[in-house]
Amino acid sequence: MGVVVKKVELSWLDRTYVWPVLKGMGITFKHFIKQLFTPTSKRYTIQYPDMKKVMPAGYRGLHELKRFEDGAIKCVACFMCAEACPARCISIEAEEFSDLNITQGFEEKRPQVFKIDMLRCIYCGMCEEACPKDAIWLRNDYEVAAYDRLSMQFGKWDLMNTYAEADGKARITEDPMPSAPRRVLAM
Amino acid sequence: MFLAFALITLLGALGMLLQKNIIVAGLCMVASFFGVAGLFVLLANPVAAALQIIVYTGAILVLVLFVIMMLNSHEEEPAETSRPIQRWVSVILSLALAVGAVKLVLASKGLQQLAEKGAAVPPAVTLQGVGAVLFADHLLGFEVAGLMLLAAMVGAVALTKRNL
Amino acid sequence: MDTLASLLHTSPALAWMVVKIVIVFSAVMLLASVWTWVERRGSAMIQDRIGPNRAALFGRIRIIGLAQLLADGIKFFFKEDLEPTDVNRGLFWLAPFLAFVPAMLGFAVIPFGRDFVSGGTIYHLSVLDPGNGMGMLYPMAIGGLAVYGVLVAAWSSNNKWSILGGMRASAAMVSYEIGMSLAVVSIFMTTGGYDPAEIISAQGSLPWHWNVVPQFLGFIVFFTCMFAETNRLPFDFAEGESEIVAGFNTEYGSMKFSLLALAEYAHLMTASALVVTLFFGGWQVPFVAHPSVGLSILSFVVKLLFFAWVFVWIRWTLPRFRYDQMMRLGWKAMLPMSMVNLVVHAWLMSHGR
Repeated sequence: MGVVVKKVELSWLDRTYVWPVLKGMGITFKHFIKQLFTPTSKRYTIQYPDMKKVMPAGYRGLHELKRFEDGAIKCVACFMCAEACPARCISIEAEEFSDLNITQGFEEKRPQVFKIDMLRCIYCGMCEEACPKDAIWLRNDYEVAAYDRLSMQFGKWDLMNTYAEADGKARITEDPMPSAPRRVLAM
Repeated sequence: MFLAFALITLLGALGMLLQKNIIVAGLCMVASFFGVAGLFVLLANPVAAALQIIVYTGAILVLVLFVIMMLNSHEEEPAETSRPIQRWVSVILSLALAVGAVKLVLASKGLQQLAEKGAAVPPAVTLQGVGAVLFADHLLGFEVAGLMLLAAMVGAVALTKRNL
Repeated sequence: MDTLASLLHTSPALAWMVVKIVIVFSAVMLLASVWTWVERRGSAMIQDRIGPNRAALFGRIRIIGLAQLLADGIKFFFKEDLEPTDVNRGLFWLAPFLAFVPAMLGFAVIPFGRDFVSGGTIYHLSVLDPGNGMGMLYPMAIGGLAVYGVLVAAWSSNNKWSILGGMRASAAMVSYEIGMSLAVVSIFMTTGGYDPAEIISAQGSLPWHWNVVPQFLGFIVFFTCMFAETNRLPFDFAEGESEIVAGFNTEYGSMKFSLLALAEYAHLMTASALVVTLFFGGWQVPFVAHPSVGLSILSFVVKLLFFAWVFVWIRWTLPRFRYDQMMRLGWKAMLPMSMVNLVVHAWLMSHGR
């Protein structure tokens, strides 16, 4: 069964071709005038360096490593994100810290090195899904670019400070808690 | 001015004859037509100049070039076995034509008048004048030419479209 | 004018001629290059975009993007002048000029303002004075030559896509010329003369006496044919990215390409000047019987720019025609229509109207 093509019967006015052309010109002129008198801020075009697109909620942009009120990192270096990452762009080195090990008898872990290779990252958001502590978020910053490859390796402090200005928080470059000296296990 | 236009005409014609590339030859012909048009203007006949350009360069030569490009034969065809007699006949014929033309010009009334009275710029020919002459004095010739062109057109259509 | 002539040790007539030539051709060239920007900006506005608005003088003075002309010009000027190996060198270089020169020359007979008398001599505001015997035949003859630019550019590129584009375009231009000429002939007939000055003065200052009202059919035919003659959409068969790479200018780059592109806009200017002269009373100012010279020039320029804008406007309104559709329109609609126009006006004239 083929598609039934409906044949459009044109009126004589349309068959002259002149009248439809005038109608079309009217439509284009309407658009022209409308666009001419629309203020720049209301136009469809976002003139990029001057204006920026407001990203919708749920946009997966630049990563942020979340922190507690006192500035301690939320990440517990569980490696879930590194495992979930399909691009294998996250590399973590863990370290132990806290003074609880003496009083309470357990250790706390945090990443000593948390590196994301932004050139390999595909912004899929799997790390965010995988994180049990909600420590890594993908937020709405899409301007991730640099002049060389090395500066695309985002370290722990870069990731923790990505949204510091936007959120009105202080930039931090140091953990509030010093790392515990590594205990040498005597065998 | 006359020299310039005459040179353009002659060089164009010469270039057309000597060029091996057929398209370049056609363009040389355009230049030659331009020279002729300039000469017409100098003869106080701008209408003929304009018509020369409209008809010959604007239409006929474009069609000629069009056909050449459509066939798109870049390489020159090898000359047939040259027969010297052809060359001699053509030389004699063109010489006869040239002599006849020069004689005609020399014997014309206009030239005698020019010799007697000296050069005077005649009033420029206008389109109205051309029209009046065409439809009053040469009506029969005009109609016959029109009929012949129509017949040629019908013939061309009949030749190319056999299954009408 | 006399002081200028005495400064240059020439006659006032010659000085006036030179001044006219310089002013007219530089104005047309400037307008043509401005129109490349108008086309881009206008098309953008029509399509709800913004268009080139960022080019700025010294990186600061951003006059709604008009500096784009300069930027484009500089870019074209400094680009490498590539020349493919197998092109026909002479013709390849000649073609842009063959395209550009006729486009500019066509403007020469158009009167762009009222005559005026100064110091006992009449000064005509057109490069060729009226009464030269060529009249409107001249722009038509020159317009016919525009085919060569496209044809030679196409052929010398030694590229099959180019040649396809060039041949389509030249066939279209030649076949639309006939309808156009017949439309113009009926104007010659009703005017009783073929000099642009006569045609303009015969139309008078009342808009409903302009040729567009009694000869509306002729106007439509002429205007449509002008689109074909200038090779602009909806009839731009010299080009076509989707089917023949780029068309007749595929092999062209840098300044040669920009000449070819400018030729199109110069053509557009000449075409709209012709439309204004033939159908819209040239420099006549509506409802002002004896306008001042400045007013008449202003009126002409406004009309010219309006029609140049209509060319752009139509381009971004209509889709392209297919080649056979266009040929059918040319031979089966435009030619009969202009013939009907001619015959009707001949009949009306013979009945003394």
